[in-house]
Amino acid sequence: MKEVIVLLKPRIWSFRNGFSTSGMREKRLKYIFFGIIGLAFWVGIFALFYRVLTYFQGTEAFGDVLAYKLLSMTLVTFFSLLLFSSILTSLSKLYLSRDLTLIHAMPVRTEKIFLARWFESALDSSWMVLIYSLPVFLSYGIVYKAGPVYYGAVIFNLVPFCLIASSLSTLVVLAVAGLLPAGRLRGIFVILAGILFILLVIAFRLMRPERLVNPAAFSTVMMYVKSLETPGSPLLPTTWIMDSLKAALSGSASSALFHGALSWSFSLTLIFTTMGISGLTYLDGLSRAQSVSGRHFGLRRTLKTGAGPLLRFLPGPVRAVAMKEVRTFLRDQTQWPQLFLILALVAIYLYNFYVLPVERSVIKMEYLQNILSFLNMGLSTFVLAALSARFVFPAVSNEGPAFWIVRSSPIPIRLFLRIKFFFFLIPLLILTETLIVASNILLDVTPFMMGLSVITVFLMVPAIVAMGIGLGAAYPDFQSENPAQSATSLGGLIYMTLCSGLIGAVIVLEAGPAYTIFMAGVHGTGITPFQWLWIAIAFAAVPVICVLAVIFSMRWGEKKLTSDQS
Amino acid sequence: MIELKNLTKRYGNVLAVNGLDLSVSAGEIFGFIGPNGAGKTTTIRMMGGILRPTAGTVLIDGIDMSRDPETAKRRIGFIPDRPFLYEKLTGMEFMRFTADLFGMGDGLFREKAESILKMFSLHDWADELIEAYSHGMKQRLVISAALLHDPRIIIVDEPMVGLDPAGIRMIKGLFRRLADGGTTIFMSTHTLEVAEDVCDRIGIIHLGSLIATGTMADLKRMASSEEANLEEVFLRLTEEESFGA
Repeated sequence: MKEVIVLLKPRIWSFRNGFSTSGMREKRLKYIFFGIIGLAFWVGIFALFYRVLTYFQGTEAFGDVLAYKLLSMTLVTFFSLLLFSSILTSLSKLYLSRDLTLIHAMPVRTEKIFLARWFESALDSSWMVLIYSLPVFLSYGIVYKAGPVYYGAVIFNLVPFCLIASSLSTLVVLAVAGLLPAGRLRGIFVILAGILFILLVIAFRLMRPERLVNPAAFSTVMMYVKSLETPGSPLLPTTWIMDSLKAALSGSASSALFHGALSWSFSLTLIFTTMGISGLTYLDGLSRAQSVSGRHFGLRRTLKTGAGPLLRFLPGPVRAVAMKEVRTFLRDQTQWPQLFLILALVAIYLYNFYVLPVERSVIKMEYLQNILSFLNMGLSTFVLAALSARFVFPAVSNEGPAFWIVRSSPIPIRLFLRIKFFFFLIPLLILTETLIVASNILLDVTPFMMGLSVITVFLMVPAIVAMGIGLGAAYPDFQSENPAQSATSLGGLIYMTLCSGLIGAVIVLEAGPAYTIFMAGVHGTGITPFQWLWIAIAFAAVPVICVLAVIFSMRWGEKKLTSDQS
Repeated sequence: MIELKNLTKRYGNVLAVNGLDLSVSAGEIFGFIGPNGAGKTTTIRMMGGILRPTAGTVLIDGIDMSRDPETAKRRIGFIPDRPFLYEKLTGMEFMRFTADLFGMGDGLFREKAESILKMFSLHDWADELIEAYSHGMKQRLVISAALLHDPRIIIVDEPMVGLDPAGIRMIKGLFRRLADGGTTIFMSTHTLEVAEDVCDRIGIIHLGSLIATGTMADLKRMASSEEANLEEVFLRLTEEESFGA
């Protein structure tokens, strides 16, 4: 055990030293910002579950059934999340970590290295699920007025819950790593996890949970849930935990302990089995992981026949950088699930407009449609800003240690940044315009609102993309192992704040004039010369702001990136 | 001290190391040279117990690496070509971590670590985070950590990468002194002058096979060129093999 603890020391020491290094102010700001977001999310989960459970309690006969069904579904969801997150973490920890060469050269038994790595992986994959499951259990405890037995049972059950998920995932990883190199597996698992998550999101949205608040539909749902009152399979770990918590909620300590003990005995047996199997297969998988992984899905051919000729019109150096951008972006398999996710979110975004019950509103329909269209403009540009924070802002940092190639090449930094700008501008402009036109068609807005939305988005997309490139260049992080995380740096926070400011300014500038024009059309009244002047100034200010945002942010990025060289 | 018997490594259809037979005695500095992709690093990783051979045996001081890896590794100071260091640890913490894994006691550690860090001019940097170290300093720290437990065998992949001329001279002198004291050194390198200067014997690996082994004089004889330096001998032997293949 002593050696296992020694193997965990670099992690503990690195964590401790992380607080005493330079850039602490920036880190503190980051921790506070994300701490607030995390806390808001935690409170949101609690409030949601508390509200739903209180609502269920108000419905006689069905209340408990619904509450337990919800708990069971939540446990299954948490378990699935834990399984997938553990697969990715254990794969990295056991086969792909950069310190494995160092560790395996040491005189420590492989089983101990495996145990230390598995423990780290179990911890890394579980902590977030554990933290965000607490408000759920807390809301049950409060609504059901549970005693200390329940809270003890939650802790007693959560530990084996995570251990079981982590052991099962590690067993899967051990089995598959014996067949394929681990480097290739990571890409496959990431894509699978992404697809599964997207399917879950789409399935949840298509269930139209908003119907639960419609009393007419609710009785049908209740009947449906009542028919689902059958217990879960006794072979599933989630069923044991569910039974234990259910017993604890009703105050039956012995039954809670019995079902919890089932989880514990299974988790310990599973850990023992995993350790045994690791002794047989781990080193073989590790040796296989050190072989070179192959290329996927013939992407090289696709690029040669696809993007290559499309970019032929560009001059040599520009084409070289542009082709490099396309190739590195598409060959990074971690980007794919995120691209799928974006497409899924776009589909859900449009679906929301499709099912929006505008006709049932008490507000006049034409008026509401156009208000929504205006809000839609702000919302879609905010979605664009979030996407840019993930993809555009880290674009310069993505060069990583290879940035010396750009610096030593005869391409000016200005041109390099412009190539990056256009690389992201074109797809993002198409995406945002598609989003705004499609949602306006679904809302059936007036031609004026349609025209205004299309033109405004056309002006705002370049500004938001340029700010992403410019600020990304002003706050680059070429040493980061994962440049996508630079979106969470101080520069990333400044970027999101400035984007919100720009979106807010444009919306505020256009809201008044758009309302005046719209209401004049609705009432058939005229617009005074003074109002025309105000409208002209406000509308003219929008392109001016957007153009200035493009020029200043690109220049700032260029200046900062160039001055870093001196 | 080191014995490789029919050592073979296959990655899928690629034969990286092909039935290597080699022995290195106590107190000998053995240079392992070869073109890029010849199988040097794969061989060294198998010797270090990081990679499992497809076939064959690695004996370290008579101990079979596959049967008793912990005891075998305890005798080795392993220095990889692209060493990983925990950037958020200080130099001294990294030394402590290594010492703990080799089971060194507290009393012995501090004194030993300080003297080695002094020898490598890292003493003043011992409490700084590794992320602040230059490339050469990181390389010196890795070598320091590998020497901490007084290994009887040193296996080193490209030891001179990132070192300045003074550093290179220091390492060359250190290796010679260690070998004179009975330590066996197995060194892979692309720096042929270093191999020529320091090594007692040299092995040339090409396309996974050992094509020549011997002293400088033996290799010159094999290349039928008594006046040539190691570079010319190396190029002649590897070219002959390539054309013969």
